[in-house]
Amino acid sequence: MNYLIEERYNALAAEYVIGTLRGKARIRFQKLMMQYQAIHDATCLWEQYLEGLNHSVAPVTPPPKVWAEIQRRLGHADAPQAVPDQPAKPSRNPWQWTALTGLAAAVIVALFLIVPQKTAELPVSQVAIVSDNDNQPLWIVEVSRESIKVRVTDALAPLPDTDYELWMVPANDAAPISLGLLPESGSLLAAAPDFLFSDNIKALAVSKEPPGGSPTGSPSEVLYIAPLFKV
Amino acid sequence: MEHETLFPLLCNTASGDKNAFAKLYQITSPQLYAVALKMLKKPDLADEATQDAFVKIWHNAGHYQRAKGTVLTWMVSIVRYRALDLMRYHKVRNEVDLEAEAIPDKPDNAQRFSAEQQKLEECMDELDQSQRQAIQLAYVNGLSHQEVVHHLSSPLGTIKSWIRRGLQSLKRCLSL
Repeated sequence: MNYLIEERYNALAAEYVIGTLRGKARIRFQKLMMQYQAIHDATCLWEQYLEGLNHSVAPVTPPPKVWAEIQRRLGHADAPQAVPDQPAKPSRNPWQWTALTGLAAAVIVALFLIVPQKTAELPVSQVAIVSDNDNQPLWIVEVSRESIKVRVTDALAPLPDTDYELWMVPANDAAPISLGLLPESGSLLAAAPDFLFSDNIKALAVSKEPPGGSPTGSPSEVLYIAPLFKV
Repeated sequence: MEHETLFPLLCNTASGDKNAFAKLYQITSPQLYAVALKMLKKPDLADEATQDAFVKIWHNAGHYQRAKGTVLTWMVSIVRYRALDLMRYHKVRNEVDLEAEAIPDKPDNAQRFSAEQQKLEECMDELDQSQRQAIQLAYVNGLSHQEVVHHLSSPLGTIKSWIRRGLQSLKRCLSL
């Protein structure tokens, strides 16, 4: 087969880029790209043409272990940049961070479980709606000066051996701070920690955790991000 | 974002700047991870594809050529090809729940994107619905020809020709 006919290699390049060229044909095409600049260029052009289709895919923050593993594999693991959000603070060891946030998380989980006596009817000042990847709302979070109320919608399908944990993501890119475990039915009322009222909040995040919450003090697998709006 | 941010970060990454690499990861990893997750479905495989892609990006940053596309296109292509490799390696059988996964005719957040993006959307809109759907299932969801056959309940020959003709029309429209 003469691959150097433009129409032919162009069609192959397109199928290579969309991913339907598989198996041996895919490997053969990779060799052709290495041999012929025109075929390589045609492939790059298709990559540019089609890349926009990815914009229909909503971004998902990878779990922190992905970055940790990249650092480990590159031999950067003991570098100060191991926590990607902390490049400006080289003096702080990432392991200390984990320990600190772990401690904070433990304290805050405990706080979250105590329903304060006078939670009552202070006006709601901030809201967030946590939606799944199909934009179905799962939790509605309402924050007043003293309390944080979380209601669960019927779109949430609880999973066995899984808890969901709510996190505050600071705007300065510091490590997320746990707000405690989320209810999986009904609603939950808890004291609102002071840091929920700083201007330093980028968003709330929900992670998937083993029963009891994050074992490390960092989100295990971030599922959803929800902005917090003032009302 | 691309010109002001990603290109300098990639250049600095190429010269071994770990801070620049961390920043590049911070900015782009949600997009790359989402693409991998959409194709592979399983979070552990998406983790692996994303890790492999960023290790490769670190090593190959200096090979990026601006004339061949944007930094993000280059990076997303790396993770997509890695995802396709992992599918073959792990023999991933791809299922898409078409009911749950309403394929959008247009991205919801279309207005945020560039002229190229709009042009692509217009050109995708001009395709027959079956062609558009087949291309999206293959590209975005990582389905093979056979898997598209299964999902669109049409014979293999038909699917192949939808994709082939759809791509031809797309190219014609995009290069106008």
